[in-house]
Amino acid sequence: MKNFNKITKTLTFALLATSIFGCKKSDNNVTTNPDPTIGYVKIASGYADGAATKVDVYAKDSAFTGYNKLYIALTDSVTNKYVENAEISLMPDMNMTTMSHSAPFENPASSQAQNMLFPCSATFIMSSMGGTWSLGVSVKNLANSKSGKAMLSLKVKDPAAARMFSFVSPLDSAKYFVGLVPGEKTIVGANDLELVVYRKVSMMSYPADSSLTISFEPTMPSMGHGSPNNVNPVHTANGHYKGKVNYTMTGTWKLAFVLSKGATVVDSTHYIDFTF
Amino acid sequence: MRVRIILALAALPLFAYGQESGHKDTVVEMNEVVVRGMLSDQTRQIKDFYVANKAATTEDILARMPEVTMVRRGSYGSEPLLRTYNSGQVSVLIDGMRIHGACTDKMDPATVYVEPQNLKGINIQTSGAAQVGSNVGGTVDLRLREPVCGCERPVSGALSSGYQSAAGYFYESGQLSFSKERWAIRTNATYRKAGDYRAGGGAVVANSRYEKMNAGLSAIYKLNESWNMKADFLYDDGYFIGYPALPMDVGYAAARIASLSVMKWKPESRWERMQYKVYGNTVYHLMDDTHRPNVAMHMDMPGRSTTVGTFGEAALRLGARRHLMLRGDVSATDLYASMTMYQPGQPDMYMLTWPDNRTIQSGIAATYTVRPDTQSSVVITTRIDQFTSLLTTQDARDQLTVLQEHPETSVNRLLKNLSVAYSRDLSGRVRAVATAAYAERMPTQSELYGFYLFNAFDNYDYIGRTDLKTENAYKGDMSLSYSTSDVLVSLAAFASRVNNYIMGLYEPTWGTMTIGALGVKRYANMGYGNMAGAEAAFVWKAPRGTQVVSTFRYNYGADDKRTPLPLINPFRNISSVRKKTGRWTTQLDAEMALRQDRVNVAAREVKTPDFFKANVRVAYATMYRLTAFTIEGGCENIFDAAYREHTDWGRVYRPGRNIYVQVNCSF
Repeated sequence: MKNFNKITKTLTFALLATSIFGCKKSDNNVTTNPDPTIGYVKIASGYADGAATKVDVYAKDSAFTGYNKLYIALTDSVTNKYVENAEISLMPDMNMTTMSHSAPFENPASSQAQNMLFPCSATFIMSSMGGTWSLGVSVKNLANSKSGKAMLSLKVKDPAAARMFSFVSPLDSAKYFVGLVPGEKTIVGANDLELVVYRKVSMMSYPADSSLTISFEPTMPSMGHGSPNNVNPVHTANGHYKGKVNYTMTGTWKLAFVLSKGATVVDSTHYIDFTF
Repeated sequence: MRVRIILALAALPLFAYGQESGHKDTVVEMNEVVVRGMLSDQTRQIKDFYVANKAATTEDILARMPEVTMVRRGSYGSEPLLRTYNSGQVSVLIDGMRIHGACTDKMDPATVYVEPQNLKGINIQTSGAAQVGSNVGGTVDLRLREPVCGCERPVSGALSSGYQSAAGYFYESGQLSFSKERWAIRTNATYRKAGDYRAGGGAVVANSRYEKMNAGLSAIYKLNESWNMKADFLYDDGYFIGYPALPMDVGYAAARIASLSVMKWKPESRWERMQYKVYGNTVYHLMDDTHRPNVAMHMDMPGRSTTVGTFGEAALRLGARRHLMLRGDVSATDLYASMTMYQPGQPDMYMLTWPDNRTIQSGIAATYTVRPDTQSSVVITTRIDQFTSLLTTQDARDQLTVLQEHPETSVNRLLKNLSVAYSRDLSGRVRAVATAAYAERMPTQSELYGFYLFNAFDNYDYIGRTDLKTENAYKGDMSLSYSTSDVLVSLAAFASRVNNYIMGLYEPTWGTMTIGALGVKRYANMGYGNMAGAEAAFVWKAPRGTQVVSTFRYNYGADDKRTPLPLINPFRNISSVRKKTGRWTTQLDAEMALRQDRVNVAAREVKTPDFFKANVRVAYATMYRLTAFTIEGGCENIFDAAYREHTDWGRVYRPGRNIYVQVNCSF
């Protein structure tokens, strides 16, 4: 019996060893590329007819009111391969039966895809409760110079806690939209704090604004404390303001903002709640 | 004044039946209390005086020593400090092993893990440089009892049971030993359970109860005539330990301590004594705020410390008048503590209070003793330690970015220590010792990495920093003793300057984290601190079985702006008179301290009034066949004084009149 046990143990070990090595071998033979959209959710999809291209829009999460980082995947509908060289321009549209308006957006910075995807953004300034959002995507495939436009409908939800706010400046009576650019990962520690500011010029035009001075204070409302050594966001490029926020623990943090233009405080009533 | 290295004192039991029953290893007796300061000579006479009653805890024993200051936050788990030094400046070891508490609020000093019945002795080093570890304030080493081979009776044991009225306190302990020619085993267990105690004047102190269990197992095996092998295991569980001076209690605390040693003892050999030990210990700690009223927010605060280490020691005789003691040690301690706060309807709030960190220490030490003539001796001690502290997880490193943009998460220090002691017999009865020393210490993990650690003493949140300069001290000691066969008088005085003194510095721009905290303090080097003090002892073996013991101490501490340092005890005296008549022993104790008006306002310290406290103790001892029985009883704090000592936190009064009774039997 003792011997039998020994034999079974040895055999099991040998089997285990071969199976481990076997797996390694087959792994090495696999050559297919990993799917570039792993980890993203598809929030809209359609065809850009003239360009013979399928347009899929991905994001980390389903679309919400605020700054959405988007990743567009183009697929040649003939070869079924990713299009990696294309000019893309966006045009968000909100149809509210009596009227329609657009939203702030950022086209892909380059005509060259990054890992098969074209990063861009749209800042949806209201949810689909008020009407129907669609995202116009104009595509020019630089490989064959074919152009076309896709109109993709999508659902925009209000997040549990607002990730953007708007205010009307007393200086120029213009409406400004301020959105929180979500970071990759939030830690207990020092985090990048990135905001984006857009100014409404017309129903269809929301250019980036670099004219504000932003200060902020993070607090934990449930405990009544803040955190030290925060860095106010300053404008870097394209309406993006970057600073540092220190979270001393997990939980819900309230970021209260004061926005100024020159010496005039233009808004000090808004805050963004952030939970991690 | 490290002249006496280790005194191998014979048992001097309170009752002489230990010898009559023919075995040395009686249960609740401590064989030796070695104070490697002024008191080394008279320890023999006053050992029993420290062990006031047999239900006394190790911290009760320590509290009676003049060079020890206890920082008290509850009925149990008081933190031992030496002279004027604070807890970061003093090392507490168990049998030479390093052990780190797992509580950010210092609720678990290492002294709670060794019960007196498991205590062979306490080595206290106050003057000079420490051979066992780099520190500026001194070392408390709790030496564990060893099983004894070749006892007359192969099986021996003891049982004790006691009750104390002030806290409705029960104490049960048992000990069992087996002794053969080549091997021996000793086991012991102690259970203590105390309710909320009644303070002097009658008020019951809420959340002062505690319950704990301690057990030990030790085995020794004779490898040959001079070499022994020994294994030790200590088990300690605290189920609830109340801390009335803190905003929360200990819900559960567990310590497991294990070691394996080989030891040589051969006085006629050139290498007289050698010891090599490997050890490991882990402490787990869980705080509990569920028994407190009006808790603003419930929180869990677990902590864990794990230490592994090894050391080797050797005593080498270089000639008739020259000795060398060598020691080398290496250890690593992992430490972690976190806090999770709960607010209904909100996500849990989690942070690290001790971000996961590891401290690796390696040191070598040598003590050289030379006796140029029969009257004098010179002892030179040196020690070098290499310390590295680092953060071990990404979460820990991330969290530190709140405090510093590019945190130096790894801290390296080379610590140097040197002391020279000169001792001389001025006449047959008078001996003088002078010591000069330089010592350095590593900042504590709280001082390096502490993250919003709430300090209930001053109501501030404390934050560490990794760029602290090394604290160092220049120390000087003088002592004089006069001894005859009946009388011993000794007097010691010390003075030291601690440079780069580490203290919390108020940061007015930083917001607090703890609800109700007054502000944030960050550890910083504060110039220097000046400290001085004196201790005296008087022992008189009067005729007709009477013995008188009296100890005195006075401490002084001030920073470089002459502001008093916090937690400096005032003048104190403890005196005892004991009379032995046949089987009866009677003892009267008086404890008193003067008022302390020198307080540190920044630490929100308050003045402490003087107090006087008296105790009476009576014991009766008898034998039945081979079993020795003792019955002890007494009354502590007879006059029910409402008092506190200056180093007690939270202005909580100590227990009032306490009547106790204790029955012991040993066979």
